[in-house]
Amino acid sequence: MKEFLEYVTRLLAEAPDQVEVAETVDGTNVTYELSVAPSDVGRIIGREGRVIRAIRGVLRAAGARQGLRVSLQVR
Amino acid sequence: MAAESIEVRARTKEDAIRQALEQLGVSRDEVEVEVLEEGRSGVFGVGSQDARVRVTVLEEYLDADEPEDESPQPFTRDQQEPEDEDGGDEDLGDEEDEDDGEEPEAQPRFSDEDTETARGTLEQMLDLLEFPNVVTVSGVDRDGNTTNIHLDVAAEEVGLMIGRRGETLANLQFLLNACLSSTLGRSIRVIVDIEHYRDRREQSLRGIALRAADQVRRERQPVTLEPMPPNERRIIHVALQASPYVATESTGEGPERRVIISPKTASSGRRPSNGYRRG
Repeated sequence: MKEFLEYVTRLLAEAPDQVEVAETVDGTNVTYELSVAPSDVGRIIGREGRVIRAIRGVLRAAGARQGLRVSLQVR
Repeated sequence: MAAESIEVRARTKEDAIRQALEQLGVSRDEVEVEVLEEGRSGVFGVGSQDARVRVTVLEEYLDADEPEDESPQPFTRDQQEPEDEDGGDEDLGDEEDEDDGEEPEAQPRFSDEDTETARGTLEQMLDLLEFPNVVTVSGVDRDGNTTNIHLDVAAEEVGLMIGRRGETLANLQFLLNACLSSTLGRSIRVIVDIEHYRDRREQSLRGIALRAADQVRRERQPVTLEPMPPNERRIIHVALQASPYVATESTGEGPERRVIISPKTASSGRRPSNGYRRG
C-alpha cells in the first residue's frame, strides 16, 4: 500500500522527488503521512478533495482485505 | 513472418492468459491478448462459463535473440523498431497488415503509446496493491477531442476491487485519470471496467428502473430507489425519460442522493411533445 501511495503521488506531483511517505503501524491501524512540495498539496487534495478521497477509498479497500484500518494524512 | 499465437480456455480470463504465457514461455508485455470469450465466474451470474483467449507473441519479440528479462516492463510493448522502411505512415505493430488503400485521416490518430501508458499505469497500481490482475485494452474511441480508452481488468478478487456500489472501481478510475492527465497532459479519458461489471450493472439498473416505473404506474405512488452514484442515477433517468407515465428526479445529498420515480400528473407535463396521456 505504501508503494501504491508513493507511485500515485509521484505521478500526480510536479515535484515527484519531494514526495515522502511515512508509515506507522499500530496493531491493525496503519497510518500514512504523506509529505509533498507545498505547491503540490493542491494537486494531491484535488478539487473539492476528490483526489485525496479517491486515494483514501482505494487504500481503505486494499487495507480491509488484510483486516487493516488505513488512514492517510497530507502534510 | 507469422506470429506465434495460441488459444487457451480456462475458468477465468486471467487463468487462461497465465496458462498461455506459460505455454509460450513469454511475459505479459511481449504478447497481445485478445479475449474471445469472457469467462463467467458465477459471482454475479448464475452459471459459470469458461473464458477463451488468443495470445499472440508480438513480432518484435519473436525474432529477438535476447532471453526474456526477469523484470516486467509494462511500457515496452510498442517501442519503435529501429529497422523498417520509413514510409509515410507509421505501422503500429499489428501482425496483420491492413491494406485498405490509403484512407484520408481526418482525425488525428490517437497515440498507441497513450493507450499502453494507461494500461500499464493501471496494472502497476493494482500490482502495488497486490491485487493479482490482468489489464487489457478493450477498445478505443473518440468523442470530439477526447480519446476514450476502455480498459478491462481480469482479477481474482473482483468483488473487492469493485467495492460497494462500485465505489472502489470509481475511485480507481478517477485516480487513474488524474494520474494520466498529470503525466500526459493530453485529453484522454480512461474508462475502467472489471470483468464487465459496468455493462452488467447498467442492465440491472435498467431493469430496476422499468420495474419501479411499472409499480409507480399501477399504484400511483412515488417510489424511491436506493442511493446511487451520479453515473448510475443517470442511467435511471435516461431509461425512463421517454415514459409518458412517470417522471424522475434526484433528491438527497452526496452519497445519499437517490432517484425518486413519481407518477406524471396533469400539471407535470414538462415535455409538451408527449401527447399520449390517458384520462
